[in-house]
Amino acid sequence: MILTNTETVTGYEITEMKGLVQGNTVRTKHAGRDIAAGLKNLVGGELKGYTELLTESRREAVQRMMAQAQQLGADAVINVRFTTSAVTAGAAELYAYGTAVMLRKIG
Amino acid sequence: MELIFSLLFFAVPLVVCGMIIGRSVEKNHFAQLDQKEAANRDFLVTNLKTFPGAVSGVQDPTIVMSEVVIGSDYLKSWLAGWRGFFGGEIKSLQTLQVRAKREAIVRLIDQARQQGFNAICNLRVNSANITGVAKSKNSLPMAVVIATATAYVARPSK
Repeated sequence: MILTNTETVTGYEITEMKGLVQGNTVRTKHAGRDIAAGLKNLVGGELKGYTELLTESRREAVQRMMAQAQQLGADAVINVRFTTSAVTAGAAELYAYGTAVMLRKIG
Repeated sequence: MELIFSLLFFAVPLVVCGMIIGRSVEKNHFAQLDQKEAANRDFLVTNLKTFPGAVSGVQDPTIVMSEVVIGSDYLKSWLAGWRGFFGGEIKSLQTLQVRAKREAIVRLIDQARQQGFNAICNLRVNSANITGVAKSKNSLPMAVVIATATAYVARPSK
């Protein structure tokens, strides 16, 4: 399945709109990671635990979005957008949404 | 009296620690970023919605995403607190944000390269909040950046 965050896909034309698909997740890391991040915040540097948290959340959200698109029988999701929101401390909500479409190769 | 004690035994060592370790961490990070960005000169990065110079029929374009969370050090947080009193630009946090944004873009390019692409378009850089609802006092500043773009194959320029 093709995923893009652009409105068109180079080399393809859109033949059919399947509508909006979305996926979201709220995740958190275990307390140890939070403590480690708190300590790291004294000396600076990347907070790997939180980076991982966002990576996992993003994967999960995209997976759920793709599952919806598959159900609609689409072969691409275009104009994918992400938003995040703060739910509680140390937790991240990641919401992915896009338009499911059918494509045909051109040229 | 207690205040003086807590200042002497808690705040001062932390600020000094932040000053020494934090500074070197930041310096190393900037040096690393300069190096990686110099190596990425040949990679076409745009935030256009079209695909400039795209070669069709080679490889399907795909989305690439990266995220970076960088913590501040105690000195930066402490300086930011003082800056909040006087007002004006918080230089220490500005460099923190810049590091996170540049790192996110470097990682996007790495990802795209690994999959065999040589250009990305429609680059979007967003910041997120994972520290929860503004806890004002004891929440430590950190830069959270999520970047997205679409990777594709472009004609090499020139």
